[in-house]
Amino acid sequence: MKNGSLLFLGLFAALGFSWAGIVLGSNAQLATLPAYYDQGQGQAFPRRPSGVAARGQLVYQDLNCAACHTQQVRRPGFGSDQARGWGDRQSVARDYIYQTAVQLGEFRIGPDLTNLAGRKPTAPDAVDLLTLLYSGQGAMPAYSFLFENRKISGQPSDHALRLTGRLKAAPGREIVPTPRAEALVAYLLSLNTSFDYPESIPAPAAQAEGSK
Amino acid sequence: MTSASPTPSPLDETAIETAGRDPLVFLLGSSLAWLLVSGALALVASIQLHRPEFFAGCPIFTYGRAQALQETAFIYGWVANAGLGLVLWILGRLGGAVLRAANWTFVGAIFWNVGVTAGLVGIAAGDATALPRLEMPGYAQPLLLAAYGSIAVSGVLAWAGRRRPVMFAAQWYAVAALFLFPWIFSVGQVMLVWVPVHGVLQAIVQGWFAQSLWTLWMAPLGLAGAYYVVPKVTGRVLPAYDLASLGFWCLLFIGGWTGGRHLIGGPVPAWISTVAIVTSAILLSHYLIVWLNLRGAFAGGGNALRFIAFGLAAYVLGGFVDAATAMRAIAVRTQFTWFDEAQQQLALYGGVSMLIFGTLYFAVPRLTGRPWASTGLLRGHLVLSFLGLILLIGALAGAGLAQGADLANAQLSFATIAADTRPWLRFASVAQAILLLGNFMLAVNFARTVGCGKIAAVKEALVS
Repeated sequence: MKNGSLLFLGLFAALGFSWAGIVLGSNAQLATLPAYYDQGQGQAFPRRPSGVAARGQLVYQDLNCAACHTQQVRRPGFGSDQARGWGDRQSVARDYIYQTAVQLGEFRIGPDLTNLAGRKPTAPDAVDLLTLLYSGQGAMPAYSFLFENRKISGQPSDHALRLTGRLKAAPGREIVPTPRAEALVAYLLSLNTSFDYPESIPAPAAQAEGSK
Repeated sequence: MTSASPTPSPLDETAIETAGRDPLVFLLGSSLAWLLVSGALALVASIQLHRPEFFAGCPIFTYGRAQALQETAFIYGWVANAGLGLVLWILGRLGGAVLRAANWTFVGAIFWNVGVTAGLVGIAAGDATALPRLEMPGYAQPLLLAAYGSIAVSGVLAWAGRRRPVMFAAQWYAVAALFLFPWIFSVGQVMLVWVPVHGVLQAIVQGWFAQSLWTLWMAPLGLAGAYYVVPKVTGRVLPAYDLASLGFWCLLFIGGWTGGRHLIGGPVPAWISTVAIVTSAILLSHYLIVWLNLRGAFAGGGNALRFIAFGLAAYVLGGFVDAATAMRAIAVRTQFTWFDEAQQQLALYGGVSMLIFGTLYFAVPRLTGRPWASTGLLRGHLVLSFLGLILLIGALAGAGLAQGADLANAQLSFATIAADTRPWLRFASVAQAILLLGNFMLAVNFARTVGCGKIAAVKEALVS
């Protein structure tokens, strides 16, 4: 290779080639994906997250929860996602249109959270999640810095965690979630993809591959 | 002269060495400091995986942040500084002229390291973007881009003003890495941080960014050194050199397309992962050609070549594992598990980092005009790196296989999975400690080698 300008142009052609293909190609396909209006229920899906849930997503991002949790359910038959109760359908692009920072995640050291609030038969509630965050479980560390261990002055707080056993606060003290913990839990409880879009109806199990 | 054995005249080399020494030594020195920082953080994050209570009360080192910190320090601290320092040195030598604009490189290198520091402080303080390979907060990124431009000036001048029109493979890879990083980095910044794209497109752009950063920047940084050192040390023409340009263009044109393999089964258009699967297979021809060209490294001949031989084997093996795990039937088991991490460590640490170590061991004595201060430390680093990497990759792969099998069985809870992977992850922590110790030996050896040079220079100045 002798020609420097040819090398130079070739480099940019190479980069532009994959950029145009992957980035522009998918952008043309998905950039204007709208919400889906359901005639039966008289409202559009997905729902916009509330303000406090949007703040909670920032906490999720700042603690990099995506290092251990994915937010993408694979289609029934491809992996055990459905059998684990994470969702009866695969996640589709439309589920994410209102998320400011999409956190698909690369590792499942903990369970998937895409449809945490829509899990069947039972989905966790705010008290479950706050207790889990405070105490940790299995490989999940305790996020005690999201809580305040303070002296009860006057009336005990309504928000204080009701803990038992070794986690119980010392007498005269209480453990109260900080606004960050409250926002994070509000975000987690906003994760619900139980509405079925036309494009997300589960593929027949006969087409499954790699299933166990 | 054959096109495969670059041998500039000795006179040129001496001149290049003295003129460009300080900024390059600074780049290499800071890279080693970041390598130690990243190693310590990797150890913390690794211990947290089998002892979740370790540093759990400390928000700065909570697992998510520790993981982001170690990855950032490794890529933007270690690989970037060392890779750039060595690539500039190679471009200077092969250009056959004194490295010009060395001051630009020096200033750029200082600001690059300020930027990486700002990025790490930002992540620790909670401003991370949570985008894999681009975790640094938005405010640190423009500084890095500007600093990179300043560092690259001397490399661009050395390449554009080269004495010989013919370019060697080492120069292609060096120039590719030098020119393409700013574009990849600014696309990532603009489309993900400043004006984020819509919904799930973020994941697609992030996949493209991460893969381009790997195939068009980090891998070429490592390969440039290997393509320079192997013919120099073996003193032979590279075998199958005619194929080298095919291997180069294959990597460049195909590399960016393979990112979608991490999105298999994800909420993205199916063509993205299908294209990634096909291109991962095509990319195997690049790995084969690199293997054919550089297989002389296995013939032996010094410690630098031993590092390069290990790096070459890991790089090629990493490519094959990458292509295998891109297959949907395999991906369903390995996706989201430690096996993916094992593959990444194999390619990035076992492959590129070891190639950089080898080039570093070859370059520093020529750059400073002194042999390595301690052969014992060099051998120690070699042994600990080999041992640590084999243990780390083996442990992560074992953990990944156990985790993949357990995840496929919906009856097993995450507590069971954690218990099944814990023994493997303990081995991974031991491996991280071994690697950290080895890298500490390299840093001490480097400091002593450079320090001796400085002391001798001062003595000389006093005497004359």
